[in-house]
Amino acid sequence: MQKQLREQIERLKAAGATYVDARWYPVEESNQLTMWNGNLKNAAASRESGVGIRVLYKGAWGFSASSDMQNLNRLFDKAFDNARIAAERVTFPIRLAEKDAIQATFNSPNQIDPFAVSLADKIAFLKEMDEKLNQPGVAQRISEVTFMRKQIIFIDSEGSEIEKNIIEAFPGIQVTGLDDQGVMHSRKFSPARLGATRGWETLDPQLFAENAERIVREMNQVRAAEDCPKEDRSVILLPGIMFLQTHETIGHALELDRILGYELAFAGGSFVTLDDFGKLQYGSSKLTARADATVPNSPGSFGYDDDGIPAQDNLLIDKGLLVGAITGRQMVEEANARARRAIFNGSGGANRATAFYRVPIERMTNINIDPGQDGSLEDIVRNTEKGIILDGEKSWSIGSNREQFHFATDIGWLVEDGQVTKVVKNSTYKGATVKFYNSLSAVGDESTWEVRYVDNCGKGQPNQIMQLGHGVPVCRFDNVRIGE
Amino acid sequence: MKDQILQTLHDLRAYALLKGVEAMFFYHEEDSYLMRFANSAISLNTNEHLIRLEITAYEGRKRASYELITDLNKLGEMKQGLDIAAEMVKHAQPLSYQPTLPLYPASFADESGFDSTLAALSNEERLAFFNEAVAGLETDEIKLSGIFSNGSNITAQIDTRSEHTQYFRTSDAQVNIVLAHSLLKWEITAEQSAYRKADLNPQSLRRDLAFLRERYQNDSPEQIPLGKYDIVFGATAIGDLLSIMNWVGFSGGALKRGYSFLTEDQLGKKIFSDQFNLTDDPTRLETFPYQRDIMGLDRGPFPVFEQGVFKSFTWFQDDADEFGVAPTGHTVMHKSLVISGGEMEVSTLEELVNLPRENDLLYIPFLHYMNLVNPSKGLVTASSRFGALLLKKDGSVVVPYNVRVTQSLLDIFGEKVAWLAKNQVVNNTSSSYGARNPTAVIVPAFMRVNDLEISHSNTSY
Repeated sequence: MQKQLREQIERLKAAGATYVDARWYPVEESNQLTMWNGNLKNAAASRESGVGIRVLYKGAWGFSASSDMQNLNRLFDKAFDNARIAAERVTFPIRLAEKDAIQATFNSPNQIDPFAVSLADKIAFLKEMDEKLNQPGVAQRISEVTFMRKQIIFIDSEGSEIEKNIIEAFPGIQVTGLDDQGVMHSRKFSPARLGATRGWETLDPQLFAENAERIVREMNQVRAAEDCPKEDRSVILLPGIMFLQTHETIGHALELDRILGYELAFAGGSFVTLDDFGKLQYGSSKLTARADATVPNSPGSFGYDDDGIPAQDNLLIDKGLLVGAITGRQMVEEANARARRAIFNGSGGANRATAFYRVPIERMTNINIDPGQDGSLEDIVRNTEKGIILDGEKSWSIGSNREQFHFATDIGWLVEDGQVTKVVKNSTYKGATVKFYNSLSAVGDESTWEVRYVDNCGKGQPNQIMQLGHGVPVCRFDNVRIGE
Repeated sequence: MKDQILQTLHDLRAYALLKGVEAMFFYHEEDSYLMRFANSAISLNTNEHLIRLEITAYEGRKRASYELITDLNKLGEMKQGLDIAAEMVKHAQPLSYQPTLPLYPASFADESGFDSTLAALSNEERLAFFNEAVAGLETDEIKLSGIFSNGSNITAQIDTRSEHTQYFRTSDAQVNIVLAHSLLKWEITAEQSAYRKADLNPQSLRRDLAFLRERYQNDSPEQIPLGKYDIVFGATAIGDLLSIMNWVGFSGGALKRGYSFLTEDQLGKKIFSDQFNLTDDPTRLETFPYQRDIMGLDRGPFPVFEQGVFKSFTWFQDDADEFGVAPTGHTVMHKSLVISGGEMEVSTLEELVNLPRENDLLYIPFLHYMNLVNPSKGLVTASSRFGALLLKKDGSVVVPYNVRVTQSLLDIFGEKVAWLAKNQVVNNTSSSYGARNPTAVIVPAFMRVNDLEISHSNTSY
């Protein structure tokens, strides 16, 4: 198949295409199991294979995809035709940043392939979790696992040929219960990434058992709690909500295609402008953020992106100063040209597609916050006069330019004079992004730093769901409005 | 093509019977085209032709499913899919209830929502449509974004309980045009939905965009004060609010799991404004309807709210099985929700702006990134986007920066409703995550709700 793909690529190059690539997925599989109140509601598996063709012609992209590998001529021609018509409306002819031709293989680290584990063993794991969650006060209990395995072969007209074999596991448990007013409350647990692998071995029954007991206890505390007060406080975000804060207001805000206006019709833009790089004080000096695709155990690490660019660890925010973005080959060229200065030195290796039938776009890798110097969670609490500790994403709504946000969390613990006083329910906080990050007053040390994953990040048209990660510490922000 | 699809399903059924496997086959075929614009250029021009087959195997109370992307000429691969599902179900755990397998009494086919000329629009036609819709509206600073998505969608089903089949074929188009100022960062939008080519009207989009562009280009923006406002929601905002209510409001499964803000006690009681009438109406072809559900139940107009009175939950078959209630014909990929028009004679934004008014009106056409803060209370939050206007009572118009609305659906559709527009609009709510599933709701062009609080007012659009 690789030979046929190379021949087709050469054919289109000879016909005038500037650049051609093919992403062939010999196989992509998933396995999803959901147990809900003891019922195995979902025992599903899927398999797909196919190829996506991207053609650059006279500064415009064309794309076509099919699972039918029998008629590659037609498929490549369709992509070329799509590029030809797109070339009739070009305002900034697409150029791709330089790269090396690479022949390489990437295998995500795993010890036990979850697709080699029997269905019976997987169900036994869920059943064990379900039994541990079946406690007084719990109205709904959910245990679920999703496994993914994909093989991707990338070939382009610049001499690259890369094979990627990626396995992911996404387990989680959740409980919900009603308070005396009939309002539903939830607590959930998805483990932080531990160790250096991503396979079945990451499902630690002991860890899940301990956390099953914890989330039931905390959910029952929330059910009996008072409402979150409506006032200004310091908010202490645990990794279980800090990952999403980072995702929504650093990650999405710094996707270069959004900054350049390529997502305005749907996902939105960004408050960040090209002038801001090197100038904008995005946060306090305690804030250092990076796009690190080299974290071994996270779905945001994939070896090479779908432009064929190797994984990188790039600074985004350096001691509060905006210095970088999430980038691919096309956007860095356009950004540098528009800004009339070299903001970006080549692609950041973050162009990815969710499937063979979608086109690569800028996606987050692992958008991480560096650990700080403010000690443990206990240290931060001890140094907080009037605050609230928040954990667990309940809802999130962000302005179209990522300039403001509103989050609700599963649980809050009020802090008064350095002491945790009580649990509150219906906890929320909101803010304006730059003001919020400039109020960052404490960043926890490595003892508080965890790698969390996101398995359902949506972006693009046609829409794409992507998996990625966030390594984040405990963070404290001051003078934040809560309870609205 | 239809014959080949149905023959393939019959072949698969015969194979399942031969293997002694109780199974259902759900076939989905899409031919999708999407031309995407950004920065006044075509940023992406794509098409995908995909066939998905979902096979669900049953064994007593056990159930397992296997889905593959395949081709009609790969019958062997599809049979292997059945073998995998059959193997999976052996190891599955019994449910606490008996899942129902469809029993189709007769074969059924519906292609009334299919227009071959819409499904087969050419690249040149898509581009010409956009060029006409924005003719003269772009400048060096005002850039075009948007999508023209069109295609065809086929779903078909068979199972081992009968030899009968169901077959549905639709065509659809979703057009979304955004004009955005690259320096000032304001954005305005206009949308259109079509199930036949004749519904496409670039001039209508151009008229709406030109009106808003005039306002946004010439009026100074303001950060409006926090507080209570009389808000007029546009059709897209109403459609989004309705879609979230469909999720956590009148779904029987959501009710039983504690996710609904409605309760069984409220059946037959007045919940919303007496101007609020909501029907699931699969006779409306604009909604890309299913006139039978996956279980083979006939679907007709189904009242959910009448004059604000809550008439019925809707039940997906699996929820109905689990909770022991009668199914309502709602085991479908999407419903066909219609909010009746009201009495206010206002069809266009221009007419709305020219209406006499006793109070300031905040017009919010689009709610960005809506999410549920508290499902049990129907509490949602979202930001205004794409062409909001503050219509002052003195007749002047102000362009506001974006604001955040955090309100309960019980208030938004409740007694605070002042009026609904008589004119209805088709709001295309399709998302292109996963398999193509063209979806639209029909809602009044405008809905005025008094006394809603703005909880956050920003300093940018």
